[in-house]
Amino acid sequence: MSFIPGQPVTAVVQRIEIRKLRQGEHLILGFSIGGGIDQDPGQNPFSEDKSDKGIYVTRVTPEGPAEVAGLMMGDKVMQVNGWDMTMVTHDQARKRLTKKNEDVVRLLVASLLCNASPFVQTEFAI
Amino acid sequence: MPMDRYADMEDKLRILEDLNMMYIRQIALSLQDSNIQKKIDHEIRMRDGACKLLAACSQREQALEASKSLLTCNTRIMAYMSELQRMKEAQVMQRVALRSSDAGPTDDRLPCKGKVAISDLRIPLMWKDTEYFKNKGELHRCAVFCLLQVGAEIHDTDMVIVDRTLTDICFDNTIVFSEASPGFELRVELYSCCSEEDYSTGSTPRKLASKLSSSLGRSAGKKLRVAMDPGACSPISNGGGATLLLPLPTVVGPKYHLLAHTTLSLSHVQDSFRTHDLSISGNEECSHWVPLYGNVCCRLAAQPHCMTQQMMSGCLKVKQFGDPQSWTNVYGVLKGTNLFCYHRQEDVEANIEPAFTISINKKTRIRASEKDLHNKAQSICISNHYGGEEVTHTLSADSREDTHRWMEAFWQQFYDMSQWKQCCDDLMKIELPSPRKPTLVTSKQGSLYHEMVIDTSDDISTVTDILARRMQELELRSQLGTSPPWMSLFQDSPGCPRTHNRLPHSPLRCPRPGLLSSEASLTSDSDSPCSTSLCSRHSGWAEPLSLSSPSSHFRPRTLSLDAKLSTLRGRGCGGVLQCSCQPPSSSSLAPIPAQRVPQATLSCSNSTSSNSSSEGSHSPELSDGTPFSHPSSARQSLRNLRAKLDPRNWLQSQV
Repeated sequence: MSFIPGQPVTAVVQRIEIRKLRQGEHLILGFSIGGGIDQDPGQNPFSEDKSDKGIYVTRVTPEGPAEVAGLMMGDKVMQVNGWDMTMVTHDQARKRLTKKNEDVVRLLVASLLCNASPFVQTEFAI
Repeated sequence: MPMDRYADMEDKLRILEDLNMMYIRQIALSLQDSNIQKKIDHEIRMRDGACKLLAACSQREQALEASKSLLTCNTRIMAYMSELQRMKEAQVMQRVALRSSDAGPTDDRLPCKGKVAISDLRIPLMWKDTEYFKNKGELHRCAVFCLLQVGAEIHDTDMVIVDRTLTDICFDNTIVFSEASPGFELRVELYSCCSEEDYSTGSTPRKLASKLSSSLGRSAGKKLRVAMDPGACSPISNGGGATLLLPLPTVVGPKYHLLAHTTLSLSHVQDSFRTHDLSISGNEECSHWVPLYGNVCCRLAAQPHCMTQQMMSGCLKVKQFGDPQSWTNVYGVLKGTNLFCYHRQEDVEANIEPAFTISINKKTRIRASEKDLHNKAQSICISNHYGGEEVTHTLSADSREDTHRWMEAFWQQFYDMSQWKQCCDDLMKIELPSPRKPTLVTSKQGSLYHEMVIDTSDDISTVTDILARRMQELELRSQLGTSPPWMSLFQDSPGCPRTHNRLPHSPLRCPRPGLLSSEASLTSDSDSPCSTSLCSRHSGWAEPLSLSSPSSHFRPRTLSLDAKLSTLRGRGCGGVLQCSCQPPSSSSLAPIPAQRVPQATLSCSNSTSSNSSSEGSHSPELSDGTPFSHPSSARQSLRNLRAKLDPRNWLQSQV
């Protein structure tokens, strides 16, 4: 996600529910994560603040369960099924997403939207 | 003497119990409700079974489970009895009201019921640091479970054994209460029982018990003393408070005590996880104490029936826009926040998309218009705001009664939505977990502290395999003409200029002695005589090759990775020192891409993973040749280990 300096950005926090897909004996979600408190935050291409040690979505498999649910590359994962993901090691984060006895993961993610982009997301509130 | 009193008490309790049962049966008969009676009888049978099991079983786990069932049965029985009493009272009140002349408030609208589900219960613990550092004997373990109650419906979760390796108590069960009113109160109770207590101490005579407790250590004696004295923090009976309604027989066995409780209601319902406060009863002195942080985190969702079921359906006529005289016949279904209008009634079952949908929500306004001259019946106008515009649909039913029924349904829907509040904004999802085989109870629950274990396949030998393979690759590359500077140290004689035509003489099968020695230290599969010869040659170097046992044919599993890599480093260092003696003929060296050369051995840096840096910054990133391919676990563990060793990489994992 590229940001134009000087342009306003909006951060949205949304809840995304991903249903795991069964592949043989594995349950997969279809995205990759990067980051963690044991990782070097300066190498995170998606974080705005280069000291942010949170968990970011680095890749979303096309037409995978995560993409279908609306997860996008560059989103920061804050919670998974109620578990905090802002202060965890990379391995702990991976483990919390890949629990074998859970079919659904409910994520709380924060995405940055660049207002200059033509695809502006708005929420219809009823 | 005390024993006689106990026996006496037991007889009296049994008589009282029988009387109570007769009383309950009378009430049930008079109410003409056999449903609750059947449930009570069922629970009493279950309770008898649990008592027998408790008396008969020898294993601690079985006893805990049986005691849990006993407590659940008792609580259910009490709940059913209270329900029965309440129904009886309501009946009596009604009769009184009918007899008296004043009629009570007529026609109270009742909100619809709904499903309430609680799942993913998690209770964080707060162990003191002294718990970790006092290593006196075994772990202090407690068995805990939760009891969830809405009205007369009681469910229990599975039992979890808690010890100081757990950071949270997690209950995986999803509990669904099917008929809950919007004013429901979900009472969550956490019961715990010490898992080491020997429950036969209850019958030890006091004098002996005090002698024992004084001679044991402080914490064990404390536990024993508390176990003897039932008054301090444990209720007398299993159910958490004896009541006169049904005095419970005292049972020998592990007893659960109420540790914490909280009550949740409609305001706590949300489609996500929330944290609630717990009221904790008991203190550190109790044997069943588990240090709770004070919160419980869970997902409480509700599906009112007005959102999931068809509340009203029938034939309607809808006025077309623009043409005031033409009406379209539709089949209308009121469900949730929408009025679906299908072309025909059969479309509903056939799951065909409705012709159009009119939303019915908090902001919708519905009114019945005056009797039209053209139509016999009143028409209903539904107004909504769609993005700033006001859209009005006019409907008409076939007859006055139908119109009245539809209006009733709309009013009921509005009332339900006002009662269920946030549950009617969107349908909350409630999943029932698929029935699985019961998980085996492992002695150690999964905890965060145990999750950083490296797999058994992440063996030192696999890493050394990687290094050996890298060596071979380098050797291949050097055959092709590009050779890193440190290769010179593996030449036969230091003074000899680096000539590449030497290299093709040594096929891969029998590599040059220099490489052989390094391989020998790693795999020891190579021939030993070569390495011994080189041992002597390189004996003057910093690190002797004594680490590799030339005669051994097994992998040196006991050697640490650091030791191995330091040998390589030492060799590299020595080589660099040697290199400096010669005039570096850089022209003969082809430019080497920095990534492919193990920089660690060349620069003697402290990076312990000579190979992970060559992976670049995306080391364990798995290629997605096929979108959903999952790599073999061996490959993944190798990559994980490599990635873990190098802190400079920014790990990415596919989930």
